[in-house]
Amino acid sequence: MKRAVAFVALLALTLPSLAFAQSGEDETKFDPSHEWELQTWGPDLKIGPIDMSINKAVAYLILGMICSIALGLVLMRVRPGRGPNRRQALGETIYEVAQVQVAEQGLPTKAIGRWFPYVATLMIFIWVINMLGFIPLPLSDERWDIGGVEVPTFAIFAATSTLSVTLALALMTFVFTHVEGIRENGAVRYFKSWIPDVPKAMLPLIIPLEILGQFMRLISLSIRLYANMLAGHMLILTFIGLIFVLENVFLAIVSVPAATAFYLFEVVIVVSIQAYIFAALSAIYIGSAIEPEH
Amino acid sequence: MLSSSFFFLAAAEDGADAGKAIALALGIGLGALGAGVGIGNIFGSMIQAVARQPELRGELTGIQWLGFALTEAVVFYGLIGGLLAYVLV
Repeated sequence: MKRAVAFVALLALTLPSLAFAQSGEDETKFDPSHEWELQTWGPDLKIGPIDMSINKAVAYLILGMICSIALGLVLMRVRPGRGPNRRQALGETIYEVAQVQVAEQGLPTKAIGRWFPYVATLMIFIWVINMLGFIPLPLSDERWDIGGVEVPTFAIFAATSTLSVTLALALMTFVFTHVEGIRENGAVRYFKSWIPDVPKAMLPLIIPLEILGQFMRLISLSIRLYANMLAGHMLILTFIGLIFVLENVFLAIVSVPAATAFYLFEVVIVVSIQAYIFAALSAIYIGSAIEPEH
Repeated sequence: MLSSSFFFLAAAEDGADAGKAIALALGIGLGALGAGVGIGNIFGSMIQAVARQPELRGELTGIQWLGFALTEAVVFYGLIGGLLAYVLV
């Protein structure tokens, strides 16, 4: 089993490197940061200042949406009464993690019914798009031709390694936190609950800090996910790219195992941890807005 | 002495690039330094806690990973700061 996993990972890592070798001859040197330049596919759909055109990240998001819906349908919609099978057990495990580890950690009991679907969706969706980011898919901007047909090269790219995606997700939590806080406590009581018990003379110093702290949550929530995925992909791409930057094929002896190690670390630990953290922190933020400490 | 002055001359030619590279390396390096201490602290405390009260392991695991991710993010704030210095300045 372990050998099979290592073999598949190695295979997955050699696929994009083939693509780099293809494009490396006529173009300039390989630069990992080019992987994050998003080119528009098809027509420019600009509505005023809003850019609605499709690019790589949007394609990954749509694919992630389809996959997470399919995951829900396959694992959760099990016909009852036939005794539990493996699929149902997996679905129940995911549900239990979302319920016990994420929702009950942050949300007060009365709010679980309303906000459990949101945090569970966040967890599954982020996990799926993170995971898709480590599977080589033919969705990159570079092209190569097989027998005259232009085919996109295989590449690894996560939608969560663009800041816009994670910022949109974090903004959702940010808006829901304050809407729910105001709805549950009333605007005056909610905003008053931000201010801790301190002497009156300290208030001019504390109030701006507390307001800044609310926005820092938004920044830290989005940057955490974004930078984790960005750094993971950049590490893998840089190690593979060393072969092409230094133009020495013997570097593969060192760089491919190193890239494989980072790849396995990312897939096994980082992907799940980040999905869990994002959902758990969303639950904690929403929960703390519903029931302020004082 | 000779090698250091040579390095200085070489750096003076593209001092801006060198400065950017130093900013990137320092951003990641110092961020990783702090986060390394923090993560070690978290797992060390976790080991101690489980050694004293093994029955609490399940409850502590969630908190442990939460703390791990919060601490680990510090590296990436440094990385993003370094990248900003590298790309924008």
